[in-house]
Amino acid sequence: MTVSVMVVDDHPMWREGVARDLAERGFEVVATAGDAASAVRIAKAVRPDVVLMDLNLGELSGVDATLLITGELPGTRVLVLSASGEHDDVLQAVKAGASGYLVKSASAEELVDAVSRTAAGDAVFTAGLAGLVLGEYRRMAAAPGDSAEEKPQLTERETEVLRLVAKGLTARQIANRLVISHRTVENHVQSTLRKLQLHNRVELARYAIEHGLDSEPEAQR
Amino acid sequence: MPDEPAERVTKMIDDPATPLWRGAIALRIVTFLFAAANVIANQSGQPGYERPWLAWTTLGVMALWSVFTSRAYSTTWGRRWPVVLADLALTCGLMSLSPLIMSDHQLLTLNVPLITTIWASVPAVALGALGGAAAGFVGGLTVGLFTYLSKGVPSLDLLRDVVLLAGAGMIVGMASATARRSAVRLAQALRAEAATAERERLARSIHDSVLQVLARVRKRGLEVGGEAAELAQLAGEQEVALRNLVAAAPADSTVDGEVDLRPGLQLLATPRVQVSTPATQVMLAAATAGELTSLVREALSNVDKHAGPGARAWVLLEDLGDEVVLSVRDDGPGIPDGRIASAAAEGRMGIEKSIKGRVEALGGALELQTGPGEGTEWEVRVFREGAAR
Repeated sequence: MTVSVMVVDDHPMWREGVARDLAERGFEVVATAGDAASAVRIAKAVRPDVVLMDLNLGELSGVDATLLITGELPGTRVLVLSASGEHDDVLQAVKAGASGYLVKSASAEELVDAVSRTAAGDAVFTAGLAGLVLGEYRRMAAAPGDSAEEKPQLTERETEVLRLVAKGLTARQIANRLVISHRTVENHVQSTLRKLQLHNRVELARYAIEHGLDSEPEAQR
Repeated sequence: MPDEPAERVTKMIDDPATPLWRGAIALRIVTFLFAAANVIANQSGQPGYERPWLAWTTLGVMALWSVFTSRAYSTTWGRRWPVVLADLALTCGLMSLSPLIMSDHQLLTLNVPLITTIWASVPAVALGALGGAAAGFVGGLTVGLFTYLSKGVPSLDLLRDVVLLAGAGMIVGMASATARRSAVRLAQALRAEAATAERERLARSIHDSVLQVLARVRKRGLEVGGEAAELAQLAGEQEVALRNLVAAAPADSTVDGEVDLRPGLQLLATPRVQVSTPATQVMLAAATAGELTSLVREALSNVDKHAGPGARAWVLLEDLGDEVVLSVRDDGPGIPDGRIASAAAEGRMGIEKSIKGRVEALGGALELQTGPGEGTEWEVRVFREGAAR
């Protein structure tokens, strides 16, 4: 079964280039979009396996689009493909539900590999993203407020794995060094993301309830 | 000319000690009323003033001076050394008239207040507001000294007044210094915020144009190959350099002399060097941050020299709260056993001196993991002083 992909980017030249690269390598590019609002609308209609998401899209950002798409389409995974530095917006996108991140300077082979892995359900981590996620867990642990049980925490093994990812080791190298299976490494990495995303959804829901924003969002559509 | 009032208003708002000046003005008015009541109560009566006309004249001068200083202290023009020192001089001068106004009986036996009474405390407060704790303290002592000179004899009451005056001046001075410091901090924070916002705007617009094109050129060039691949490599290098330049926030230090360690490190990234940091600031003393940055640069140039041209490197910055951990790893062939020691023995002190010595000077810990075929990994731990944050 071919993987269906949707490309979201505000830059037509880039959008078409990436779509062509993917089509040449056997992916089915089912849609493209140039802004976040139409990305959400089109994604709901075509339900692609993978959405390649740029983050700088103007008014409604790629982070918002990621949150809406992953929230409503459980079968669709979002892979962030961004030229922006590996900073807060990337972290926000991942917390919003993106299952991975790739820089735009990545080669066509890296892109194809990342899309395949995303479609298969793996998390696509760069060293930079691992550094951001590690930092985010530590920031939450140090922040005052919530009691310790409510904050997501990394297990010792997960911390160890994330640190090695951040130091540039491949999943296979990490498996060798820690004497665990390749699959286990992938599971640890995925688990760090899932906990972060779950916490983010809980926080957003709590915020919505506290501010009376939870009433019938469907009715307006 | 039409701009002047507006400018004055903004300056007034900007002066963080304004509330203290308002306090000095209020004190001046209230104490003047007290001084007037004092004159009314003591001019006649059984043991009246020796020279009532001088008492009234002095009170008139005090009234005029109260009006003048109240107006002066409401503006930036009046909040200057010449005005405040003139206030101190005039107040002490009027106080020194007391022995002429009052009879010896009043002055020494009945312990009637001096003509200026507590009105004389205002210059100490004004000096504190203008010049800080030391100025306020000295101002209080000066007024106290003149009180002693006017009375002529030391007493416990007098000592109490001196302590109160000097103390009040000092406390107001401390308050004004604190207010100024926090105003500076606030301004600095606002400036940093504005700079960040501007940088983000710039980053967005560069992302939308230059970075996109560079990334595309690099990608297509590599696919076409040949001469185009060369151009692609150049475009790729510029893309990374530009992205890092845009991402690196300005190194604006805080009042405590702390800077964010991340921007300096991010500038070290190249197509072969990946720098990973948290999304939030990692604040360290400016000297420590500078030292760590140059240490990483040293380690990376070491990678270039010894790990071969194809080697890649990863820099990881972690903030654990009471310590900061920096790792530099490369995927080169690694350093054979004993190479570091033999290099030191030969006098080529490269790694030994630069990295180890520097880490020790920072009071940190260094760990080196290497072996043939395993690459090299440096891990530096630096502890935060006081570990308060």
